[in-house]
Amino acid sequence: MKKILLFSIVIVTLTAFLGFFNWLPLHIEEGIARRYSSIEEVKTKLKLKEVFVPSFFPQQYVWPPYEIIAQTKPFTSVIMKFRRINGKQDALVICQFSAAASVPDCSPRMIQISESTAFKMKGRMAVLEVGACGHNEACSRMSWLEGRYRITVAVDAPPFDLVKISESMIQ
Amino acid sequence: MCNCYAVENQGYLWKAPTATKTMKTAFSSFLTSFFGMYMTQSCIHSFIAMLIVDRAIYIWDIGNPLIRQRFRIFIIFIALFPYPLYQLMNPERGDLAFRLGTLFDSSRWLNLELWNAIPIGLLFILLLVFTSFVFLFQELIPIIRHTAESDRTLSSWEKLDHKSEMVRNFGCFKREAQDMPDFYITDNELPILFARTGKRPSIHLSTGIIASLTAEELQGAIAHETAHILRNKRPLLIIVFFLRMLLFFNPFVLLEFRRIVLDEEKICDDMAIALTKNPSALAETLKKLYHKPETRTDGRKHDASVAQQDDNAHVEKRIRRIEGGLGQYAGGQWGKLVAVSIANIIINYFVV
Repeated sequence: MKKILLFSIVIVTLTAFLGFFNWLPLHIEEGIARRYSSIEEVKTKLKLKEVFVPSFFPQQYVWPPYEIIAQTKPFTSVIMKFRRINGKQDALVICQFSAAASVPDCSPRMIQISESTAFKMKGRMAVLEVGACGHNEACSRMSWLEGRYRITVAVDAPPFDLVKISESMIQ
Repeated sequence: MCNCYAVENQGYLWKAPTATKTMKTAFSSFLTSFFGMYMTQSCIHSFIAMLIVDRAIYIWDIGNPLIRQRFRIFIIFIALFPYPLYQLMNPERGDLAFRLGTLFDSSRWLNLELWNAIPIGLLFILLLVFTSFVFLFQELIPIIRHTAESDRTLSSWEKLDHKSEMVRNFGCFKREAQDMPDFYITDNELPILFARTGKRPSIHLSTGIIASLTAEELQGAIAHETAHILRNKRPLLIIVFFLRMLLFFNPFVLLEFRRIVLDEEKICDDMAIALTKNPSALAETLKKLYHKPETRTDGRKHDASVAQQDDNAHVEKRIRRIEGGLGQYAGGQWGKLVAVSIANIIINYFVV
């Protein structure tokens, strides 16, 4: 019994050490991925000039984003997640990744793409994908290059509002 | 609502990336790729597994080399399989949102820059490259060279008849003739003794070793080689060796595999003693064949390489262990291995 207790203490201590070493870099260097409470805070703290947000925002989604994750190291990325008015999370996700970097897919991931179309949107070549996400729910996403960033907008719905939201992000 | 945050993009001027920036981007792209993440997580997972296993062995005072070896083999499995399995369970495990909620996110450290110039990740990659070279020059090439050389020189070895008096004097075989390895002898003053495994296992010895050991010591040495042959009939060790080759870049697997090999020697010592019932003869054999004293007879320091000193230390440990009595090992260690496995699998899921 004493040895089981000792082993448990080892596991707890190791977990605490890992937690500490996970927390430490945040206080050593700026720009490492973390959560932010507002877009203004992202711009100020990360000295980011460009954070793309839509000017068209359908009523079924709640502004401001309920979660903002951003980083500038090793590459710039800003992820904004919005709720539906009924409270459903990840209903609208806007990802802004540095175009030069090979980055993971923008959540929520599409588990099946039923249609993929390339089309011009205000002079940019965008790719619209329609398919299923998560538990086989309908979803669609649009991605295009905007200067030095790749923007991806994903919604948990067919693409009617998605195109308008995406177009409103381009001046 | 206006898209005022994007307005500044209109006057955007493209700046050509500098060489350093391009290098950093390529470097971060590698670390975020599947192989980059696999290599990183394989190393971190095996490091954590190594810490947990070492502590478990210490706490439960696990002296049986067979059990210790099982724990260490588990570390190799932890280095190889969990990352693809975790990703299969949760494809979003590598995403920023998941990383923020984890216990330890390796990318935070790998992206830190020393003096705002050298990413720590670059040093990490150099460590992987260094480990790969160590594997290549200290393990793979010597094994290939040894196999090729022993194949080439096989013609100079004379096969001994199983029924010959010399083979019967080796004494440790109470087995059927078809289970017995072949014995080969060569006329050489040097004390040579090794076993070849495979479909037709064999034990090779020189006239030099027969002359330098007593009959009992020779029995102990041959029993040890026989144990290697018997152990190599089990596919687990062969599988572990091939898995270890796949993890050539992992420094913790390099260390653990060497410990597995040392445990294997101890397991074969135990089996040899069980066969001969004569531990002191085996200890004497080790002293005569492998033990190189630290000081010369004239009192000057022996000019041994680090590797030789390391080998010497391990042989000394084996001799002390045999002379000190092997002790009675408690059975039922599977529960501990299960506890260690569960702790590792859960913790490592939250280490990305």
